[in-house]
Amino acid sequence: MILTKGLTRIYSLGDAEVVGIENVDLDIAPGEMVVLKGNSGSGKSTLLSLLAGLDHPTRGEITVAGYDLNSASPSELTLFRREVVGMVFQSFNLLPTINVIENTVLPALLAGKTLSESRKKASELLEWLKLSERSNHLPAQLSGGEMQRTAIARALINDPEIILADEPTGNLDSKNGRIVIDLLAELNRKRGRTVIIATHSSLADDPASVIIHLKDGMVIHPEWDR
Amino acid sequence: MGSVVFFFRFLGWFSLRNLKRQPGRAVTVLVGIALGAAVFTSVRLAVHASLNSFTKSMDLIAGRAHHVLIRPGGYVPEILIQKIIAHPSIQSASPFLSTYVRPAVTHGDSFLLIGIDPILDRTFRMWQTEKVRSKNDAPWLDLVKFPFTLVMGEPLARKIGIRTGDTIALEHSRQTKSFTVVGMLSASGLALIEGGRVAITDIATFQEFTKLYGSVDRVDIRLKPFSGSEDLNSFRKTLPQGTQLVQPSITRNSGRKLIRAYQLNLSILSFASLFVGMFLVYSLVSLNAASRRKELAILRSIGGSSQMLFLVFLAEGALFGIAGWLTAIPLSSILVKYLLQAVSQTISTLFVRVHVEALSLDIWEIFLSFGVTFITAVMAALQPAREAMSVAPNEALEVSQHGLKRSHKTKHPAAMGLLCFVVSLIFSQMPNVLSIPLPGYAAMFFLFVGFSLQAPWILEKMGHTLSPILRRLAGIPAYLASHYVRSSGTRTAVSVGALLTAVSLFASLVIMTHSFRQTVELWVHQSIGGDLFLTTKMGSINHFRYPLPPTVINEIRRLKTEWDIDIVPSRRFSLMHDRFPYEIDLIDLKVFFQHGDFFWLRGDPKKARNMAIDGQGAIVSEVFSNRTNLSVGSTLETWVEGFLVKLPIIAVVRDYRTDGGVVFYSWRHFNERYYNPQWSGVRFFFKDKGIAPDSAVKKLREEIITRCGENLDMISGKELRRSILEVFDETFAITSVLLLIALIIAALGIATTLTVMVLERTQQLNTLIAVGADRGQVRSMIFWEAIFLVVAGEFTGLLCGFMLSYILVYVINLQSFGWTFIYSVDWGALSLSFPLIILTALAAALPAVRAVFRQSPAMLLRER
Repeated sequence: MILTKGLTRIYSLGDAEVVGIENVDLDIAPGEMVVLKGNSGSGKSTLLSLLAGLDHPTRGEITVAGYDLNSASPSELTLFRREVVGMVFQSFNLLPTINVIENTVLPALLAGKTLSESRKKASELLEWLKLSERSNHLPAQLSGGEMQRTAIARALINDPEIILADEPTGNLDSKNGRIVIDLLAELNRKRGRTVIIATHSSLADDPASVIIHLKDGMVIHPEWDR
Repeated sequence: MGSVVFFFRFLGWFSLRNLKRQPGRAVTVLVGIALGAAVFTSVRLAVHASLNSFTKSMDLIAGRAHHVLIRPGGYVPEILIQKIIAHPSIQSASPFLSTYVRPAVTHGDSFLLIGIDPILDRTFRMWQTEKVRSKNDAPWLDLVKFPFTLVMGEPLARKIGIRTGDTIALEHSRQTKSFTVVGMLSASGLALIEGGRVAITDIATFQEFTKLYGSVDRVDIRLKPFSGSEDLNSFRKTLPQGTQLVQPSITRNSGRKLIRAYQLNLSILSFASLFVGMFLVYSLVSLNAASRRKELAILRSIGGSSQMLFLVFLAEGALFGIAGWLTAIPLSSILVKYLLQAVSQTISTLFVRVHVEALSLDIWEIFLSFGVTFITAVMAALQPAREAMSVAPNEALEVSQHGLKRSHKTKHPAAMGLLCFVVSLIFSQMPNVLSIPLPGYAAMFFLFVGFSLQAPWILEKMGHTLSPILRRLAGIPAYLASHYVRSSGTRTAVSVGALLTAVSLFASLVIMTHSFRQTVELWVHQSIGGDLFLTTKMGSINHFRYPLPPTVINEIRRLKTEWDIDIVPSRRFSLMHDRFPYEIDLIDLKVFFQHGDFFWLRGDPKKARNMAIDGQGAIVSEVFSNRTNLSVGSTLETWVEGFLVKLPIIAVVRDYRTDGGVVFYSWRHFNERYYNPQWSGVRFFFKDKGIAPDSAVKKLREEIITRCGENLDMISGKELRRSILEVFDETFAITSVLLLIALIIAALGIATTLTVMVLERTQQLNTLIAVGADRGQVRSMIFWEAIFLVVAGEFTGLLCGFMLSYILVYVINLQSFGWTFIYSVDWGALSLSFPLIILTALAAALPAVRAVFRQSPAMLLRER
């Protein structure tokens, strides 16, 4: 369950203030597949970073999977990021010095799981994502699609309830973009995960259960239960 | 346990693999810190070996004595021993004599000859001889039975090529005599003194050889068990006036104090290399923290805690510390071979005689060197680690991986730097702590930190002021370079900090050494006047303890030459004032002032000269005054050969003799007021300054030999003054080597920073190519950046160096050795060396220039 009320994030840039999002009210049930749409600067990434516990709101309330992110301490937020959410980024954000399987197991190890247990889980995920052959390759040796699938494996390693994806197809060609969206949709449909995707693209429109339009930091047109 | 295992696994994944990707940079930093650690370790080990050798020798000589009876300035009458042993509180007493002698035929190295009563001495000192199969008697019995026999340390026997049964002629201040070697000392106890360069003879032989009939250097005493202070006081009351009961460790402790002061100064100087190496670690770890900001944000976004990231970067610094130290160990073993000889020679010349055969590894020294290297590296990584932990997880959402974030605040560090200057000033005014110039070193440290913190502001102002001028004079490359340097922030400034530290050390030590040398040169020519100096054979090494025989004095008095000469007799006594060793130098001041003068520091010279000639008071050296707190107006009271001497102090002068403390008084008036002190040395002055000194000195020397025989040491004034300055130059050779290494490390720092600056801007630089710049222009821009860094580092370093030199001359030297010198800048050396440093530092820019075009612009401009 994701609940926000009057959620606002304002950034200070020198003397000026820039509104990231303003008075956003959301009520997302578990198992939804939500697509956040809007132009650049509309507030999609800001909203996503607040939902992921990467940032603090300026004001308003935000509760994700029972965690009150507004009042959570830095260490509680770290725990939240480890166990509740999995993030997928536009630029993949894999660590360049470690290979595919090491990138995948990293969040599990950070959460205190053993290497053997984590590797087993990672191998299953990589097999599902058709990356088994590439598990010992460094990110620089992968294609864009492979890198994004590795990022999805990493996001899933701790079995998070919620998957947050920020422009996951932005750096991919249309074929790989489709593969990634299909995988996220499969996670939502078959594994019951809540998936929230911020994107310009219309690739995710079909599988989405909710599409939220943002403009200038405000929700302008939620489309529920399509 | 699991989290520890994960931490080290992650360290390998995240840090080590990253370092492996840029081996050049990692190796450069490693070499820098290893050089610094090697210098520090080898200097510590070399001085420690000397300290150890000295302490061991002193402890072995002191033996198991509870107290030692001495007669300051002279010898203890042997007859006292019977009286001492008869006292109810005394368990045992044993006489002890020692002197330096040398083989007469080869005039080889001098060694210590000890005279003891082999029976009485058994209670005090342990020594054994190797068994001789053919003889029934132990060699020690031969010492008692046969005159002019000795036993010898194996290393000494090997060196002179002598065996048991051979005879050897030994020369000494008093005479040359043949000794029979009756045995070799086993390698234990007294045999270990001065690395085994020692021989033992019976007291009677010693006294006959040195003509000290009925006299001994000292009597070692052991009290009966359970004797208390009352017993000791009752014993003290039975002792004749002019004798003193002292602790056996007194000589050892005063010698150790001098060596320790020297060790501390060299350690601080060698730490400078490590301090410069610290900038390298900071530079690389800071680059890693900044250039991997996005990765840090990703780690935070997937559940990594900020504490973990902090520890990872701290561990990166620690790894450099550990690896640097491990690399330093083989380097140290090479360096220490050179330093061991140089350091022990310097200590022997300046402070106390030491003889170091081999390195003594001390676990504390090893631990200290590791600890200092490790802590230095960790401290260097502290700030970058703090920056790493402050990375916000939402930075992972930023699309661009470029555009590293840098701090552009320059006023805050500059203000902190000004605060450091104030702290430095306060420390420089504080007295030393437990005889260690800690506040002086703290003042130096804060000065370095203060100037380093000014670096970002200086670069910003420099870039701001010069950019319009450079655009007109040197074109766009220089203009762009000035813009970049102006806004490049802390990391570029760190490199300037490293260079300024090395340059300021260089400048300050050049100034200090020059000031010191100029002052010593003035002192040598003013106070060490005289055309010929004469003393007994081996007089200097034996502290002038053996006066010239009356026959020699009579011959010298009757000396008639073709030139008019002035004869200035003198007598020196080695004494202690509250554990501080000093000398009383009795000299014919009336004649001395006709030819030379002192280097006046306190007191009215004209008045003091007249008072000194009239015997109304003594002139003391600066070191003596500073160490004893006796200055003009105070009175020195001391026992000299059984006479209580009271000398009012009328002036303080500069003096740079080996251990510094000297009191000068009129020989004639000492003779009138107390007793005839005899002569231990004579200076000859030619009255006619127009004569050819070399040939005149040669003839005078020949005349003296004809009249007095050859058992004298003579040196011309010219040779003596030259040898003093040679010793000075040799002493500072170690300093020069240490400085050179600090400069090499700073050059490595410049090379690393420039390469890093280039690599992190590869896209930006190739964009310049894409928009029409040619490669020459880009190279020129990088060279201009290097020029900015080097010039900023050099000039701030020079400024810092001038301030530092004041602290060295007026605080550190005063607190360490008790002397100061006249401040004098060696403009010649500075103006010659600074262009060389600039060129060397600019040469360090070459790898950076080469790094720019390693990849094709097309590849680099591709969106990652």
